[in-house]
Amino acid sequence: MFSGCPGSKTADFRTKEVQDDAPAGKVQSQLRQWPVQLHLVSPVAPYYEGADVLLTADCVAYALGSYHTDYLKGKSLAIACPKLDSGQEIYYEKIKSWIEDAKINTLTIMIMQVPCCSGLLKVAQKAANDASRKVPVKYTVVGIQGEILQEEWL
Amino acid sequence: MEQYLNRGIKEIIGEFPETGRILDEFNIGCTACSVGTCLLKDIVEVHNLPYEEEHALMLRIGRVIYPGVEVEVPRIERKTQPASGAIKYSPPMKTLVDEHNVIKRLLALIPRLLEGLAVTREDDRQLVLGAVDFIRSYADRFHHAKEEDILFREFGEDLEIVKSMHEEHRIGRGHVKAVIEAVESGDTAAVKEHLTAYGELLTGHIRKEDEILYPWMDRNLSTAQVGELFRKFAETDERFRETASRQTEFIRSLEKQFTCEEVTNHV
Ligand SMILES: [Fe+2]
Ligand SMILES: [Fe+2]
Repeated sequence: MFSGCPGSKTADFRTKEVQDDAPAGKVQSQLRQWPVQLHLVSPVAPYYEGADVLLTADCVAYALGSYHTDYLKGKSLAIACPKLDSGQEIYYEKIKSWIEDAKINTLTIMIMQVPCCSGLLKVAQKAANDASRKVPVKYTVVGIQGEILQEEWL
Repeated sequence: MEQYLNRGIKEIIGEFPETGRILDEFNIGCTACSVGTCLLKDIVEVHNLPYEEEHALMLRIGRVIYPGVEVEVPRIERKTQPASGAIKYSPPMKTLVDEHNVIKRLLALIPRLLEGLAVTREDDRQLVLGAVDFIRSYADRFHHAKEEDILFREFGEDLEIVKSMHEEHRIGRGHVKAVIEAVESGDTAAVKEHLTAYGELLTGHIRKEDEILYPWMDRNLSTAQVGELFRKFAETDERFRETASRQTEFIRSLEKQFTCEEVTNHV
């Protein structure tokens, strides 16, 4: 029996059948900004003003095949890892500043199903609760094979 | 079958009454609807039945419309998967559901309010006018304005489902107007009749919105639209802040009045 951190538990799905009937041609990137890492971005950068912001845990974009077209499209992005990143107090301040100063329209948090990933949701939830302005906050939980396990407004 | 998908449900039920009973069995209460202009295809989509149930429903309706013919059941197009479990609303929809809960508290008091009522008595007159003031300022100007001026516009005014909600608001306003006229002319029976009818209408209306319309709208709203609605509703809340708190206070005092009376009556 595996007794370590479920977030680092090895899983091998190389034998999984993958449909290869995606439309021909290169999939367009939906990224509209740079940088993207939460430590590197300014919460009041113009691309966050009044935007629908997507805060994504690092691993999500690798697990979810349609990340660009179904989730990133039309949104402004920041990425972070709640397990490995240091200085996460700054994350709390930046999320709060999105809501209060950049006056974002909505906040969507995308995390992986592994337990440690919920840390990102907790930080965002606390920042949103403490902020003087209110915005709708949604979260999406993604399985390690790219399935959407949960999608809900808080 | 396709041609019936684009027809109003009341018309279909009128022509084939059995279809109304079938819809009832699937908990789709169109037979009791006061408007009934929704299209069959919209009703099926909006109720978000699991695919097998939808198929069974359409098969039975098809057999009633075309007896003896094996009908091909069209699948109703929808943008989202059927949901399971309890209804979860987006934040703007949640505020509307919370307002329904306040309105429902008044609706629950209507039968007791009407017991032994005589609008020739000044106290009773004031009681009815207080309830009417709540309905007009909170339920109509505040809540229905959010629906009509903001929410419904997101979906287009010519959608049959939206039209039928508008129509029910209009019928409700008619009852309220009749209540006021009856108070003025001292006609207690008419007050009772129209306030009871209003209560019944709004109870059904709220149930439709909570259980069917809002979840369907939520499934079709983009994240950006949810944010927009939330912001616009918050602006309306700000404008009606005083009205909303005064009217919630009115409901509280009315509840207290009636429960106290009951307690004293039972002592
Ligand atoms: Fe309504
Ligand atoms: Fe309503």
